[in-house]
Amino acid sequence: MTPDQTLEKLWHRRAKAFREETMPYFRYMGQSGFPAFMSLIIISSAIGYINLIRHTPASFPFATVGVIAMTLVLCWSPLRTWLAAGDTVFLMPREAEMSGYLRLSFRYTTIACTLLAAIVLLLYLPIYNQGPAISGGWALALAAAALKAGNIWGAWKERQMTWPGMRRLMRLLRWTATALSLAVWLNCPVWQAAAFTLLIGILFGLLYRLPGRHRFPWERLIDEEARTRKRYYVFFGLFIDVPTLPSSIAKRPYLSWVLRAVSYSNRNTFVYLYTASLLRTEMGGIIIRLLLLGCLIIYWLADALLLSGYGCILVFGIFMGLIAVQLGGLRHIHRHSVWKHVYPMPEKQRAWQYLRVDRLAMLLCTALLWLFAALPLAFSGVYLPELAAAALALVYIGIRPARLRKKIIMDEDED
Amino acid sequence: MEPILQVNELTGGYSPRRPVLHNISFEVRPGEMVGLIGLNGAGKSTTIKHILGLMKPQAGEVKVDGVTLEEETERYRSAFAYVPETPVLFDELTVEEHLRLTGMAYSVQDNQYEAREDELLKQFQMMPKRKAFASHLSKGMKQKVMIMNALLAEPPLYIIDEPFLGLDPLGIRSLLERLVEVKRKGAAILMSSHILSTVETYCDRFIVMHHGKVVALGTLEDVRQAAGMDMRGGSLEDAFYKLVTGGHVS
Repeated sequence: MTPDQTLEKLWHRRAKAFREETMPYFRYMGQSGFPAFMSLIIISSAIGYINLIRHTPASFPFATVGVIAMTLVLCWSPLRTWLAAGDTVFLMPREAEMSGYLRLSFRYTTIACTLLAAIVLLLYLPIYNQGPAISGGWALALAAAALKAGNIWGAWKERQMTWPGMRRLMRLLRWTATALSLAVWLNCPVWQAAAFTLLIGILFGLLYRLPGRHRFPWERLIDEEARTRKRYYVFFGLFIDVPTLPSSIAKRPYLSWVLRAVSYSNRNTFVYLYTASLLRTEMGGIIIRLLLLGCLIIYWLADALLLSGYGCILVFGIFMGLIAVQLGGLRHIHRHSVWKHVYPMPEKQRAWQYLRVDRLAMLLCTALLWLFAALPLAFSGVYLPELAAAALALVYIGIRPARLRKKIIMDEDED
Repeated sequence: MEPILQVNELTGGYSPRRPVLHNISFEVRPGEMVGLIGLNGAGKSTTIKHILGLMKPQAGEVKVDGVTLEEETERYRSAFAYVPETPVLFDELTVEEHLRLTGMAYSVQDNQYEAREDELLKQFQMMPKRKAFASHLSKGMKQKVMIMNALLAEPPLYIIDEPFLGLDPLGIRSLLERLVEVKRKGAAILMSSHILSTVETYCDRFIVMHHGKVVALGTLEDVRQAAGMDMRGGSLEDAFYKLVTGGHVS
């Protein structure tokens, strides 16, 4: 057996180990009612989609929708390598033999990504054909395939880059160029689009030669693999307790003023710590994204007065629930910290200070979501839905601390 | 003078059937630095965990500032600061935010806090890193943050587990200078370390642990005597070697 083959065997062993590791969690997810919830979403989306194809309004933004949907699936080019920190010791000496290993990784991820892109394209084509339909389906499919291949190659070149700043810049450029190419394919004749894409391709071919790069970006790939693994566990964490993996931290300097606003005092010790955790951990990132998305959707629905204003209130409730669930995870963050026991503070104080952070965060998020529903509704002269929503939200925020306190006591009993 | 730390006939470990510590007793008084030494697995870290209150004694008791953890939790905990063997930092906090958190936890007065923070950052050459997140620090720098946090609290007792691991020469020097200073001001220090020459130079008394028991306790002379050496000479290392190997390597 050649050394290459042993590495390929290792790849298969690792892929199998990951499947076996995650299988029980998928089972828990299956039992949780999540598949039923997803089926509901898929069915309602399918109905919406068929309606859209049947009665596409002339003013429908055909090209914009296509560019957004296709850019996301064409540019997103992950790579599962199963590499772990110890590999810099054990596999690095065999770097020269890693091409076969890497080829398997590319094959594995490319098939899944391409399939996803193909599904999105197939869903989009009927919409596009109701509109301008300048390029034919086959031409678009070919263009999409070329763009996907280019993106996979580009994403690899970016992984190899030495400097993170340059890597981010090139990624931004790649996403922008892909979006532009798609816009040209959807709006201009085929020959123009092909020429444009070719030029962009050549330009990027040259651009990617410029920055300094690693032959095999070990640290980058190990980091990417760890992040992907973590995302799986964050997802499983919605259904069952999962092993805690080290959380990644984002600085979010635009929010550091919140931390500075916590006054220096013993009774704010854990307020300070939990606020920092909320602002800078991945959970904070998820809440911020949920908040932005929620505000946007609620505003749209409120502006359209869907279901006489109750449509946006329903979505308000859903987003509030999602944020509440995410925020509930904050209590687990320092659950096993040694300092919790060492700091000279009563246990009750810690729980009480944690609840203060939770309540304020919940109140702020809810108020923001509510404003995006209430203002457009009020401008349209509709008042009842937002008042009812405010009352229900306040009741929930009022009873939440008592429920959380019970959970904290339960957690401590378990520990 | 009342001891700040008293360990009385402590037996403890992870399983009641197999205790790691066997009936150990010692005390640490204000104004003295005591070295806790022993081979890997001798029970040093387990002893420290019992003192911190992270483990419950199976028999015996630990008193800090005259009280057990159960009697007066807050008084017990506010009497000491701890530097763990492996730095345990919050990834989401910067260096100066760690100091601020410690200041809050140990109720360091607002007006004293800033001066102490500034002084510590300068003394441990961490001024340029004050805004760096814990995850971006080297191991030695993380250890410096741990040490600075303990020193910021200015408690009557310092419990320091292997403080020199990963520290650069300037860091070691700053730490020792500060420990001498806090000791002069009346604080007590219990320090576990494998660097026996440093322990010998800086500590007033020594606790030698072996297989979960205290095999020697006291000044250098006491340790030498316990090792069966004559009183005229021999370093702590020589005495330690004799105590843990019985004078011959098996």
